[in-house]
Amino acid sequence: MFHWLEKNPFLFSVGVFLVIAFAGLVEILPNFAEASRPVVGLKPYTVLELAGKEVYKKDHCIACHSQLIRPFKAETDRYGQYSLSGEYAYDRPFLWGSKRTGPDLHRVGNYRTTDWHENHMWDPKSVVPQSIMPAYQHMFTNIADIDTAYAEALTVKTVFDTPYDTPNGVKLGTLDEAKAAALEEAKAIAADMKNQDVKDAVANGQIPEIVAIIAYLNRLK
Amino acid sequence: MNSLMIKALAFAAVLIIATLVVVKQMNIDLSDPINMITMLGAVAIAALTFGVSAKYVNQMKTDRAEGELTEENWDGIGEYKNELPGGWAYSFLGVLIWAMWYFIAGYPVNAFSQIGMWNEEVKAYNTKFEETHKNADEATLQQMGESVFLVQCAPCHGETGDGLSGKAQDFGSRMSKEQVLYAIQNGSNQLGYPMGAMPPMMAQGADAEAIAEYVAGGMKGEQPAAFAVCSSCHGADGQGNSGMAPNLAVYDEAVVSHTLEHGKKGQIGKMPSFKTMLTPVQQKALAVYIQSLSAN
Repeated sequence: MFHWLEKNPFLFSVGVFLVIAFAGLVEILPNFAEASRPVVGLKPYTVLELAGKEVYKKDHCIACHSQLIRPFKAETDRYGQYSLSGEYAYDRPFLWGSKRTGPDLHRVGNYRTTDWHENHMWDPKSVVPQSIMPAYQHMFTNIADIDTAYAEALTVKTVFDTPYDTPNGVKLGTLDEAKAAALEEAKAIAADMKNQDVKDAVANGQIPEIVAIIAYLNRLK
Repeated sequence: MNSLMIKALAFAAVLIIATLVVVKQMNIDLSDPINMITMLGAVAIAALTFGVSAKYVNQMKTDRAEGELTEENWDGIGEYKNELPGGWAYSFLGVLIWAMWYFIAGYPVNAFSQIGMWNEEVKAYNTKFEETHKNADEATLQQMGESVFLVQCAPCHGETGDGLSGKAQDFGSRMSKEQVLYAIQNGSNQLGYPMGAMPPMMAQGADAEAIAEYVAGGMKGEQPAAFAVCSSCHGADGQGNSGMAPNLAVYDEAVVSHTLEHGKKGQIGKMPSFKTMLTPVQQKALAVYIQSLSAN
């Protein structure tokens, strides 16, 4: 019956490959799809948080900080619940990192606050005396790029169907709406901060990078 | 005995003699059983290696296949009707049975799971921790409290608990005057005490000043008359009416555990909740340590 197959070794090899590959995919893909579904209650990043994420990438925080808590007792004691893959569903790209010169940041929003980040970014040694982290004072003057962050959100909404503009979800809207929402969010954060220049900038409708990155770090829970 | 066997035995004898020479030369103590076993092992390996190789090389040279051939043959290549060797057949059956068990029960039940390992590790540790520290003495709690403090609290409150010049609560004293005034003016309903919310503006002006002065001073000296409005909830001694309201005099266990659970947003800033981060024993230890900070 399959004699003809044995007479065509190349075709036979391709056939064997296809059968085995299909069996493998049937085993692997459902598991992948299941694990990468967003965890219950996960919301996409707001535009301000995305702008903060851009700052995180730009200043290369990932070089020293990871965002992945492994299921070891030593780590869960210090950082909290171990990470689940579904928590990164809206991270494009995820920022797991591979080196911890500083601590893990995946749940930093649970145990640090706006004013702590403000002190820490201005002068890390003022709160952690042995810290070797450099100061990031330029974040207090650089203005965050909200337009790019909006473009990013709009892209993932369009291309990957990230659930923006859903009922009870994160509202994206038009660029102007998004900018207004980001400014509102920034005002709430600036209210908890002490730096007068930052407060003034936000009052004038500008969002310094420090506000964006604090929004992003507070969101990491 | 053919020449092959003789050669093999000669090789084995050379190796065995070499082993014995080494043993002699190095003055190895053969009364030590480990040395004895090692030497016997070396001798056995030499003998077996050459014995077994000689047997099979010999067999390859001289052995002829025997038995009845099956009828069919392929281009002159035939097959014997011989029985399967018993050992092979039984191990094959054994493996079949084992494979069924492994497929149905062995692998699914015993498969490795990283999360399962974490669960077991944490459970085992917590059980042991509870057991060990059920009746921990003051010194142990103090030490435990300090190490918890250094990891979880020091980044904001500073390594010495001084609050890093106003960036967080200073554990050197219970409350500053500004904090008392802030609480009186704004009220408080954050820590989840049974007494519930404290309304704002319970005292005003000079009365509030006097209360703040008195509480910030560690509740020493003469109590101002205005404190009566506080004592209805916090107790006449400010100790919190045995857990009904926050203790204004010292950091007792209730203040520490309530603040850890609910977090707090006050005059200085916001402290997040550490609800799931610490076990009850660790919270108690933290209370002991924080109390010791204000005692000095």
